[in-house]
Amino acid sequence: MVDRAVDPLTVDTAPAQRSDHALMLAVRDGELDALGELFERHQGPLFGFLCKLTGDRPTAEDIAQTVFQRMLKYRHTYRDEGSFTAWMYHLARRCAADHFRRSQSAPHAADPADLNEHIDEAPHAAHHAATRDDHALLHAALARLDHGDREVLLLSRFQELSFAEISGILECSVGAAKVRAHRALRTLRDIYLKLQNRPAS
Amino acid sequence: MNCQRVREILPELIDESRHGPAGGDAAEARAHIAACPACEREFAALARTAAALDAMTTPPPSPRLRKNFYTMLAEEKLIAAAPAPARAAPAAAPARPAWWRAFLAPLAACALLAIGFLAGRQPSPGSRADDTAMRTELQQLREQVNKMGTLVSYSLLQQQQGPANDRLRGVLAAARAESPNDKTLDDLVSALAFDPSANVRLRALEALAPHAGRELVRSGVLAALPREQNPLVQLELIDFVAATEDPAAAPALERLSLDQATDRSVRDAAQRALARF
Ligand SMILES: [Zn+2]
Repeated sequence: MVDRAVDPLTVDTAPAQRSDHALMLAVRDGELDALGELFERHQGPLFGFLCKLTGDRPTAEDIAQTVFQRMLKYRHTYRDEGSFTAWMYHLARRCAADHFRRSQSAPHAADPADLNEHIDEAPHAAHHAATRDDHALLHAALARLDHGDREVLLLSRFQELSFAEISGILECSVGAAKVRAHRALRTLRDIYLKLQNRPAS
Repeated sequence: MNCQRVREILPELIDESRHGPAGGDAAEARAHIAACPACEREFAALARTAAALDAMTTPPPSPRLRKNFYTMLAEEKLIAAAPAPARAAPAAAPARPAWWRAFLAPLAACALLAIGFLAGRQPSPGSRADDTAMRTELQQLREQVNKMGTLVSYSLLQQQQGPANDRLRGVLAAARAESPNDKTLDDLVSALAFDPSANVRLRALEALAPHAGRELVRSGVLAALPREQNPLVQLELIDFVAATEDPAAAPALERLSLDQATDRSVRDAAQRALARF
């Protein structure tokens, strides 16, 4: 008879869910399957972040894949006192930077007309039109921000990260992270208003 | 408090919804906004932008992301479990941007060569006797693998490191064959059942899909279903049996849908497939 360790999958289904941090520590310590749960929890938000950052779905998907690949590859560097989400976005930032360095092109914005397709599930419904145009305008406005501004804005508004964590991801002080986020929001507002007031072509 | 100072604080007030109450001069700034139409307009514009931003949704990523992730995870588990010498090769492999393509090659090196293994031992096809011998051998190998699980694969792998890349090539060549014979289909079924590489198993399943009408294929896929541990391959297998609407698949699907140790998405898929019968 072989004495078997507790099946990790049984632990997973226990009512008390393991935290992201606990799961990543488990991955680090060799329970690679725990990364599956982290993937299921975070692929959506991570993809959303990268999509808005790059303005391109296939690129966002490629980078998201690289992020999970690096989590696995660099699992031994995950720290006891780490925050999983902050670590993930730290990696995401690096992966995005690598991606653009490799493709030798600046992050480009998608044509807002393309984005329309993805945004609205009922493109023919008239009452959706206003929202859709607003979305498209916002996408266009986001695309016109510079990469750093877009990044800090997306981190501060979407990802449930504290400014302390954001400052860690961006490798700057908490104060600087706030200032950058606020400046980015103002700039976005300016561009957004300008686009809204532009007569429809 | 003057307008300029208030404008500086506005983003902090906007942040409150995300980052908790703004400290410092927030209360004073709020009082100013209530009394100053210009600052009020400015605040409203900023708040509208932030709200629009917050409302911006992204449709979920394509299934490709999940598919590639679980394939990668399965491969990494293999590497982690493989004996040290086998591990060296993938680690040294150059990183390529399209990693999910890149790991096909190195991983082929640390997996069982089911097709090559069998093909290497098979007498030339043609005679009935040879065919029977091959089937017996196949059956024995199947039983052996079933008994010992992947341990067999690993020991075979160590004997088979040389031609390992051929395995994938074998699967791909079989996939290209327009009218594959029983032996080719059997090889693909073997790869699907025995190969420790999720990639090879997926390719084998893909190659089998056009021949789902064959009894040999259907029963092979059905036999692979309960053995399969990789959620990604499980999902593909479920799709396959669901598409064939083979009532013989119902018990296996039912077991899967009830197995708490099985990945959630797999259980759901099994349930959906069952509902189609
Ligand atoms: Zn004022």
